[in-house]
Amino acid sequence: MLLLLVFGALATGCGGDGANESTKTLLIAVNAPFSRTPYVGLTIANGAELAATSSSGIVINTKEGAFSFRIKRYDSGLSARRAVANVRRAIADGAIAIIDEGTGINASWRIANDADTPICIAFQGGKGLVDPNERPNVFRIAPTDHGVAFRLAEYLIPKERRIALIVDDSDYGQQGRKALDEAFERNPESVAVRLTVPTRAPDLAPEILRARRAHASALVVWAQPSVIASVLAAARGSGWDVPVFTPAAGEDPLVRQQLANHPEWVDGLTFATGRPTAEVGSVPFLSFQRLYEERFGVQLVGVRIPAGAEVTQPPDYAMYSYDFVNVLVAAIQRAGGVKDRKKIIAALEEVSVAGANGDHRGFNERNHDGVVDDDVYFARFEDMTYKPVKDDPLSATLTEIEQTR
Amino acid sequence: MTGAVLEQTHGALTAGFREARAAWSLRATIAAAIVAAALLAPAVLPLSGRMPDIAAFVYLAVAAVGLAYAVGLAGIPSLGQGAFLGIGAFAEAIARAKGGWPLLPALLLGIGAAAAAGMLTGLATGRLRSAFVAVSTWILTWIVGLTLISFPGISGGAQGLVLPEAEVLGHPLGATAHYELGVALLVLVIVGYLIVAPRAPGLALAAARERSSAAVALGVPVARFRLGAFTTSAAIAGLAGALGVELAQVADPSGYDATLSFKLFVAVILGGARTPLGPVAGLLVISAFSHAAERVGALRGLPPGRLEEMLTGYGLLLVLGLGGAGLLPAVLASWRRFHRAPTRERPSAPGETLPKVEHPAPLTTRRLSKNFGSLVALAELDLELSPGSVHALIGPNGSGKTTALKLVVGDLRPDRGSVAVGGQALDDLTTRGRALEGIVGTQQTTEVFADLTVLESVLVGAGLRRSHAGIFRTLFATPKARRGAAAVRRKALSAIQFVGLEGELDRPSSELSAHEQRLLMLASGLATEPRVLLLDEPAAGAGPAELEHLADLLDRLRQKGLGLLVIEHNLRFVRRIADRVSVLEAGRLIASGSLAEVASDPAVRTAYLGRQRL
Repeated sequence: MLLLLVFGALATGCGGDGANESTKTLLIAVNAPFSRTPYVGLTIANGAELAATSSSGIVINTKEGAFSFRIKRYDSGLSARRAVANVRRAIADGAIAIIDEGTGINASWRIANDADTPICIAFQGGKGLVDPNERPNVFRIAPTDHGVAFRLAEYLIPKERRIALIVDDSDYGQQGRKALDEAFERNPESVAVRLTVPTRAPDLAPEILRARRAHASALVVWAQPSVIASVLAAARGSGWDVPVFTPAAGEDPLVRQQLANHPEWVDGLTFATGRPTAEVGSVPFLSFQRLYEERFGVQLVGVRIPAGAEVTQPPDYAMYSYDFVNVLVAAIQRAGGVKDRKKIIAALEEVSVAGANGDHRGFNERNHDGVVDDDVYFARFEDMTYKPVKDDPLSATLTEIEQTR
Repeated sequence: MTGAVLEQTHGALTAGFREARAAWSLRATIAAAIVAAALLAPAVLPLSGRMPDIAAFVYLAVAAVGLAYAVGLAGIPSLGQGAFLGIGAFAEAIARAKGGWPLLPALLLGIGAAAAAGMLTGLATGRLRSAFVAVSTWILTWIVGLTLISFPGISGGAQGLVLPEAEVLGHPLGATAHYELGVALLVLVIVGYLIVAPRAPGLALAAARERSSAAVALGVPVARFRLGAFTTSAAIAGLAGALGVELAQVADPSGYDATLSFKLFVAVILGGARTPLGPVAGLLVISAFSHAAERVGALRGLPPGRLEEMLTGYGLLLVLGLGGAGLLPAVLASWRRFHRAPTRERPSAPGETLPKVEHPAPLTTRRLSKNFGSLVALAELDLELSPGSVHALIGPNGSGKTTALKLVVGDLRPDRGSVAVGGQALDDLTTRGRALEGIVGTQQTTEVFADLTVLESVLVGAGLRRSHAGIFRTLFATPKARRGAAAVRRKALSAIQFVGLEGELDRPSSELSAHEQRLLMLASGLATEPRVLLLDEPAAGAGPAELEHLADLLDRLRQKGLGLLVIEHNLRFVRRIADRVSVLEAGRLIASGSLAEVASDPAVRTAYLGRQRL
């Protein structure tokens, strides 16, 4: 009796694809840490949701009939084990593709590959996660750690600064350490000191003092948003106006929320991430942003500029999952339907679409990374909002995105 | 020679089969049918997509039932089961992913690592009170979790440790095979619990759980049994963890944080720790909470994890508020109330009577002394108790009577002096060692094992001298174990019949009257086959008729050659039973001799008797 109840309880979540007479609904799974880092999870899911189920509803016609899409969220809780279990569940639910934050990919890609299901990483950029030869079903639309680290090195080394490389002990920080070590390998004289700080340390003043005593003239901080805020607090609190550089974690609203009482401490924080606008200008991204905000509302950071306006967060990371869904739709059309999943994976290497920022998004048989390393730009904070820097050739060409209301 | 062994084996198997067939019941048939249905379910139900989740649930259930060995059987409130699960999982994962070990040796490593961790924890916490055991094991859970997180190079960090696909005889061990294996293991640990609980090790653990001091007094090796239960519990968790990680094919630290230990503990308490199906029921309820939380969370836009833990916590509070027995026992009790089973035929007591003491010997104490700080609890006590006599130890409260009793049975270590029986010094022996030498003390009347029946309570004492009662012989019910059990049962029944409780064999001890509880404690002590029995206030609160009955019993015991040392305040009772009387005052022996001698001693009259008369 108890075991029958087990089956009952666990089978409650079973669900097939919804379908009506004319249109079959395809499931796209979003596997992300909704409970642990809601900003990341929601950003990825919302981008996918926007592309898959816009107000008019996407319906694609193929030789096998018409298809629409629905998004289902699976919470990985930043646990590899849960992430892998989610991939199994998604496949059991009949997911046509999985958009993943990246946790647990080393184990889950094989499970998805056995089911001929493509996985697209929309956040993590670690080296080795994507390999067209070894992992033919794994794709990524997100800046790579390698790209961010090399762009930081390329940007900072000519400035002849002595750099303190600070990472935290989280997996994100340790991945960053590897990328930074490679990027600064040929210019060891640029590195004043390498520091690993505890993620949960209440005060980073001792570590910042060490960096200062090593005569660092810039800090590169590859860490969780809360640690970045702590580094800024420790440096600025001691009166050290050193420039601070970070990967995309620097633009996480949490950094500004934690420093809301000292907005001036955020000034000068520069982060590197994939560009939200392209050579074609800001129109495509603004159009995407409008759609996003109409659907999900404006994302408020929770702080204000000195003039009093509320600061908003542009949905720049949401555009990656949005783009992947559009690439997937094109691939299904190229494959002529969904019966042969292998064809869809093959078609993903053949199609491309106009991305949310106006760039072309697509993959090929040698490259499953949809954001090229050269697309990483720099933005610097001032008065709680950021704008592209002017001393980097790529960033200087980009337009500023409105961030207040 | 070989022929004789074969014949003996055949005979034992035939007898075992006959006994098993005689014990087979409708309930057993239903259970077997459920197990068969569970094993066949993957073949007939469309569950392939859910099979990894179901198999993972079954492994978790194995760990939860394993926890019931510690919490339910031994009464150890362990909050560390998640840590042992994690140790088993990571030992397995490291051996397989980094060491390239085959499946079976890696599994054994996982079990061994968890068992070793359990044994060390059990040794470290064995003497702590329950609340401190709970705190210590909870801290262990955090230490293991934080250690795994702190060394991502070993634990694999966010990507976890990825295991190669397990194979058995060249075939991949898929989710369905894991499920079948999990069900088989679950049945084994449940059956193991059901076998152990009503037999010698389980009864000894139950006695230790209920009244540790009373169990120790009857010679139960409480510390060893509790350590064994805790280690077994950890080993089962290690097995579940190792197999669970094989199923998931990835191990990451976040899967074994404190939440898992909390969840397992709640499952055991929620479902009922003292029935092996309780933890499974508890996990099912938590699983239902999880689904409900997911639905509610989705409606409210909340992360599912938070609501699940909150609902689980409320469930725990509810069960604790209702008495803490758990949901399954509560449901079963309600069922029994409305579907009263026909009264079982009471086991009949044998015709034989309690045997005479085989090797009677005098008990002597020489200059026995004990101080508690500056307080002299006992000073230079010389006593002599002859076989077949009753020696009463009297004196005002705080005069050192109970201290003397505890020093004789080994509950306390003397500062000076010695205890001997038949000329053999007992000073280096533990309480159990002294019980084996025939020196047994019974506790005060309220010290019954409330959860045990009359027969079970006496079986605890009767098991003292039982051989072939180890856990493996018990589990496999070997012929020697069965013979030993039958002999112990006969001994227990004789003791019960002697005190006149043969009509109450199946009654819970807690339902007995105070006088019956006194008789029960006497029977438990007698079942250990003592040479000297020490009774602590056996007549406290007894009415005249009960006193007479008790006195009659003690007379008969004296006739059987037993030496009885009785601490008593009721001087009429002392007059009725005692051959000799010793009087203590402020830890010192002020008089000793026959009733008449002591009664006429002026020091005794001044210090103790006053207007009373012996």
